[in-house]
Amino acid sequence: MLSVLQIVRDNWLLLLIGQYPYGPLGGIAATLILSVFGILLAFPLSVALALARTSPLRWLRWPVTGLVYVTRGVPLLMIILWTYFLLPALLGHPVSGFTTMLCTLILYEGCYLSEVVRAGIEALPKGQTEAAKALGHGYFGRMRWIILPQALFNMLPSMLSQFISTIQDTTLGYVINVQELTFAANQINNQLLTQPFQVFFILAITYFVVCFTLTQFTHWLERLIAARRRGGALPASARAALEDDLPLPTGEELL
Amino acid sequence: MIVFSGVNKWYGPYHALDDINAEVKKGEVVVVCGPSGSGKSTLIRTVNRLEEIQSGSLTVDGTDIQAASNRGSALNRMRSRIGFVFQSFNLFPHLSVLDNIALSPIKVLGAKREDARTKALQLLTRVGLANKAQAYPAQLSGGQQQRVAIARALAMEPPAMLFDEPTSALDPEMVGEVLTVMRVLADEGMTMMCVTHEMGFARDVADRIWFMDAGRILETADPEAFFRAPQHPRAQRFLSDLRSH
Amino acid sequence: MQPFDLAAVFSNPDFVSMILTGIRFTFLVFAGSWLLGMALAAALLTIRLMPSAIAQHAVAAYVSYHRNVPTLVQLMLWYFGISNLLPDDLQAWLADHNGEAIFAIIALGLCQAAFFSEDLRSGLRAVAPGQAEAARALGHSYLGSMRWVILPQAVRNAIPALVNHSVSLFKNSSLAMAIGVAELTHAVREVESRSFRTFEVYAVGTLFYLVVSLLLMAAGAVLARRFRLAAAR
Repeated sequence: MLSVLQIVRDNWLLLLIGQYPYGPLGGIAATLILSVFGILLAFPLSVALALARTSPLRWLRWPVTGLVYVTRGVPLLMIILWTYFLLPALLGHPVSGFTTMLCTLILYEGCYLSEVVRAGIEALPKGQTEAAKALGHGYFGRMRWIILPQALFNMLPSMLSQFISTIQDTTLGYVINVQELTFAANQINNQLLTQPFQVFFILAITYFVVCFTLTQFTHWLERLIAARRRGGALPASARAALEDDLPLPTGEELL
Repeated sequence: MIVFSGVNKWYGPYHALDDINAEVKKGEVVVVCGPSGSGKSTLIRTVNRLEEIQSGSLTVDGTDIQAASNRGSALNRMRSRIGFVFQSFNLFPHLSVLDNIALSPIKVLGAKREDARTKALQLLTRVGLANKAQAYPAQLSGGQQQRVAIARALAMEPPAMLFDEPTSALDPEMVGEVLTVMRVLADEGMTMMCVTHEMGFARDVADRIWFMDAGRILETADPEAFFRAPQHPRAQRFLSDLRSH
Repeated sequence: MQPFDLAAVFSNPDFVSMILTGIRFTFLVFAGSWLLGMALAAALLTIRLMPSAIAQHAVAAYVSYHRNVPTLVQLMLWYFGISNLLPDDLQAWLADHNGEAIFAIIALGLCQAAFFSEDLRSGLRAVAPGQAEAARALGHSYLGSMRWVILPQAVRNAIPALVNHSVSLFKNSSLAMAIGVAELTHAVREVESRSFRTFEVYAVGTLFYLVVSLLLMAAGAVLARRFRLAAAR
């Protein structure tokens, strides 16, 4: 245990911001920047893809469905390799690992997030669309003012979950030498050589703390949204009338 | 056959069953009725120990269901000897209708597979659903599902049958088919205890009515007497509420 | 860019054998960790069903760890970290006998068990409450009602989630490359660096993953439809 604290004390700066200012920004800072920008930029893409997938226009729906299936069927690592190869070829100049990772995340998380948004849209009662149409709204009008606001609000916890996944996906940047937290940990390990367990233990714990905290926040958000959707509490008389013959038992479980 | 003696039950501070003393005789059909929250469902669920009682004794067919030896396999054996029909049917959705009925005789009573399936088909014919043997519960209407549930309980050859609001979850046009099955059972001499709101059924089929409120049996009478002139003021109010719509 | 030329890749027997080895290792890691994950998930569920609070918290902690720590980091912790804690002769034996693949299977299997056990648990919770009562009312024992009524329904409910996570596991086999397992992604990189035919080699690898993933998803859809439980009333 002592050696763990020693390692953290000696290397906390590297773990936090990588080799900056003697190198690019790395460590936890890079991980968080990649994740936040990745998910933020993926968001508009995901809405566009979700709209395409729920669109009545076949020429829009099929290619996008194909894209989403391909992205879901291929490992992220493979997609990273593709981007690493295609991006410089298309742009005509070399691209840093960080940029490659960011673009891959935008595409990858965009596709997964679009499934979440699509689920949110499809979960709304049909009556919402019908009422919007009856009031004379066009497609974009009712999406903008009626459908999407509800769908996105309801899916906030799932979107937050996707953000947590994104944080975990940034670790794959290690394979193309992106200087995020996992890379930093490996650097430390390659220096120390004698305490690999302690180093990777620190790495695991760090991710655990970050993701666990965010997961707890997601649960709290879920409860908040569920309560808000239920509306206020029922008056006592209505509650009593709804109660059936059996009050809630406090006795033994049946099994 | 079913004897309640000083039975009491509490949910925490709430006195759900208050000093119940009553008996369902062999071959008798007893209908338990009363307002919502009166404890009638709780009462019927104590008979096969889906609910536990805190004091008093409950005897079914001579066996004290509270006896200490009534744990584990003895409890299961006791339950298998009392038929129970639920308000929400609770058929097993992953099994065909025939298997729903045949499963428990095979697994609990140790019947041979062929015998159990033959008997199941006979019971299905009795409830009028022989052609649905290979169907799955989700493909049946509510009334059909409840009839299968009755057949499933009968397959265990119990000496007594308990019905917990068997028609309350059904659409009105399906209530009749289930009540018909219950009527036939009663005519054949089955000992039955029913919690129900179907007063027509109670009037025609029951041998005795138990009226409950707030965990107590306030009045027991034969149906004619009860419906013509209930004694207890609460019963009078209950019946006039029923009639007023 | 050179024109698309698959023959340049496939005419070379070394490249073909590398890719085939890669496919073999991918399936080895996938199958091994899937079986380990399923077996362990069943054990975890059994422990979860015990009335003890310690059992609940232990399983919850296990699941929480494996869901919050990235899979790649779990792999690294096992292969670089835990292997270092093992006695020297065991380390030597592992180094000679595909230790990388063994650790990959262990790490991925343990991680997958967490997800599978949660899927089974959700499936269990989705079983209508009246089912247990009905089974008990008919006289089934606890084990009997589990075996014949509750668990069959729980597994059927869990099939879509289990299939989803199985596809994820298949894709995660590519992570094993980071600890030196010669699976398909590793092979693709190797062949690409030697043949310089990036597009063709990547396409082959991508196609393989895509086809198997889609097959798994299709098989899952068939299973789910076959065993789907329409909501009982």
